[in-house]
Amino acid sequence: MDERSDGATGAGQPGAFARAWARAVSGTSYLPMTQAQLEELLQRLTDRLSEALVSEPFDPRVGYQIGAELVEAHVASAEGLGRTVEVVQLRLLRDLGLVAEDVEEDRMARLLASVATGYARALRDRTLDEQESIRRAAMVARAQAERALRESEARFRHQATHDPLTGLPNRTLFTERLAAALDGPGRATDRVGVCFLDLDRFKVVNDSLGHQVGDRLLVSVADRLRLTLGGHLVARLGGDEFVVLVERTTCTDDAVKVAEAALTAVSEPALVDGHELTVSASIGIVERPVAGTSPVDLMRAADSTLHWAKAAGGARWTLFDADRNRQELERWALSAAIPGALERGEFYLDYQPLTSLRDGVVIGAEALVRWRHPEFGELRPDSFIGLAEETGLIVPLGGWVLAEACREAATWSPAGAPAPFVSVNLAVRQVHRPGLVQEVVDVLERTGLPPGRLQLEVTESAMMSAVEEPVRALGVLADLGVRIAIDDFGTGYCNLSYLRDLPVTELKVAGQFVAGLRAPADDPASRTDERILASLVSLAHALELTVTAEGVETEGQAERLRAIGCDTAQGWHFGRPGPAARLLEHPARPA
Amino acid sequence: MQRPDWAPDTIDIERPSVARMYDYYLGGSHNFAADRTAARAMVDAVPEAPLMAQANRAFLRRAVHFLSEAGVRQFLDIGSGIPTVGNVHEIAQRIDPQARVVYVDVDPVAVAHSREILSGNDRAAVIREDLRHPERILAHPELRGMLDLTQPVAVMIVAVLHFVHDDDRPAEILRTLREALAPGSYLVLSQASDEGRRDTGERDEAERVYRRTDSPLVIRSRAELTRLFDGFELVDPGVVWVPQWRPETPESAEDAEKAVFMGGVGRLGG
Repeated sequence: MDERSDGATGAGQPGAFARAWARAVSGTSYLPMTQAQLEELLQRLTDRLSEALVSEPFDPRVGYQIGAELVEAHVASAEGLGRTVEVVQLRLLRDLGLVAEDVEEDRMARLLASVATGYARALRDRTLDEQESIRRAAMVARAQAERALRESEARFRHQATHDPLTGLPNRTLFTERLAAALDGPGRATDRVGVCFLDLDRFKVVNDSLGHQVGDRLLVSVADRLRLTLGGHLVARLGGDEFVVLVERTTCTDDAVKVAEAALTAVSEPALVDGHELTVSASIGIVERPVAGTSPVDLMRAADSTLHWAKAAGGARWTLFDADRNRQELERWALSAAIPGALERGEFYLDYQPLTSLRDGVVIGAEALVRWRHPEFGELRPDSFIGLAEETGLIVPLGGWVLAEACREAATWSPAGAPAPFVSVNLAVRQVHRPGLVQEVVDVLERTGLPPGRLQLEVTESAMMSAVEEPVRALGVLADLGVRIAIDDFGTGYCNLSYLRDLPVTELKVAGQFVAGLRAPADDPASRTDERILASLVSLAHALELTVTAEGVETEGQAERLRAIGCDTAQGWHFGRPGPAARLLEHPARPA
Repeated sequence: MQRPDWAPDTIDIERPSVARMYDYYLGGSHNFAADRTAARAMVDAVPEAPLMAQANRAFLRRAVHFLSEAGVRQFLDIGSGIPTVGNVHEIAQRIDPQARVVYVDVDPVAVAHSREILSGNDRAAVIREDLRHPERILAHPELRGMLDLTQPVAVMIVAVLHFVHDDDRPAEILRTLREALAPGSYLVLSQASDEGRRDTGERDEAERVYRRTDSPLVIRSRAELTRLFDGFELVDPGVVWVPQWRPETPESAEDAEKAVFMGGVGRLGG
């Protein structure tokens, strides 16, 4: 569009018609020009209209062009055309100083028709172009929006599936990939391996150097694992736990090699914040056919196996062992069944006599717990007591044993002899429990058993704790008259200092010394055991304690124990564990 | 509604866009059925709507002329819409081909269209951003690559501010822009006003039409609009109905209040 420059274009000043035309089309659409520029344009078109009116022959192309030029100059609307037709018809001849006779009869109609045709064509083309252009813009914008959405979704998905600290895949992604490795198409005949890795003693780093250093160490470990095991999915499950997915293994050794590479990578010293840190890791490896396993199975197995590696001291890999796992599961199932079994009354007590070596009188009986398991039959304590101790279930179980033993013992009244005391084992956890004294006092009150007829057996290890409370509690019970025996004396860390502080009544000497007495008396090993026993007896007597020998199976053993002054004996020779009734039938079994 | 950062807007041409409605008022065909339906509803309520748009566009044209003659060679047109007939770069670059223009619009279709129109023009750029985030506009790399903010810039916010609600703090938006500008810069503002014609019902009807778009309407008085020029010196004739702002002919300023838009130009002194 030319700038307006009055008179400089050589065109004539806008005449009356051009000015009227300009007024007519103003406001029909937006015109990006001044009124003067519009008038100038319309004057040029007026000149061509007037030529077309009189030229011979009539050329409709002039009219087409005029229509097209109007649209091109943005006089581009239905109203713009209508007003143009109107103003030309009404004013053109008059404003140009012409009369009807000057012009061919149908010339005006043909000229207007050609202008309208050219105008409508141009307007249609322009409309189509603009529609095409805006639709293209919408498509481009939509494509951009979709791309942005995909990118942001990808970003979001990355955030959701990766660990922000190390950038490694997280548990979510690992779980997805593991599921795909197990269930994916064509996987049914594959094998798969999982290496579950945990840093050894990582907590020490966090505690001593701070979490920031701990975090950087984790990043460094992650980087090394990623670098070393690039071909496998390495994920951080949280804390210092990492896991490697070994897909399409051909044999267990494939997974073991990955674990070894991981251990090597982790064990390289790392420089973190100026600290040279060397860490080791433990790895649980599970490798098996895809068929018949599930992600949950695999991860549980890997987790158990990792714990075996940890329990074995760390800095190693351990391979999953189905038998060991089954045993652990059974043990676990057994321990989980203890509370229910207590409720259902599946436990009962047997008693083994403690017989005086001097006169053969049964002076006491050790209560031994039995489990009448509905599925596994009669279970001896060694199959469940260890578990109960690990899980803490020993507290309710031991409480039941104490109460039941006292209840039964209170009913004992053998003919012609004083009633024997009942000896109950206390586990470490029971001894360390704050409520022990109250529990014992309550049981004695409830059952009416005199305190002197209760003996509590504690192991040396229960006394090894630096905590004073257990010693104090046992002291209170001893003051009440309860007998305190040290069980398995001589097999633990033989720290005699507690004998100074504790009102112990009796030492029970472990069966392995007694076992030595089965050999002939001239056997050197047997003689050594006899000497140890003799010293223990003289030590005990010096401290005014009685001594019970456990595991006495033969008359010969009994004889030699009697000879060295041992007070009491327990073992098959004097009576196997059995119901209390049997014990009371023969209270004074001859020695 | 607050969308999470990772969820970009979608393109919905079933929903009227103010940029394409404006194009329709100007006689353009850069619009879709939904835009035309909404625009026609607006014309039913306010028959002058096309005239308003044209008058506003003419104001833009005269303002750019004025600024070019005042020596401004950098333009920042925020809310530029569909850059069809007679846009800023056409006017400014006809006067000086070295003039630089940055268009900003929030409508992704308008931006895509602008980008196509401007392809090959290395003195004009378009960025997609919202007037309500002036700091993002100012920091945008395309803007930084095109405009030298140590030199005067004319900021054009024409027929847009009535889409900025008071809760979006228009005065703070303008202050942020002003503080980034060099002395000798200009601010061009226009927006719908009901100055002296309250209670005609048209305002309610117009606001009702625009509630269906992404951009509800906020109408402001002359005094409110004048306050938005805080920190700028208004050039003659101040804030007026847009046809009254330096008209080319006395007739073209007649019935100026029918244009519904008021506008003005302010200069940053110093």
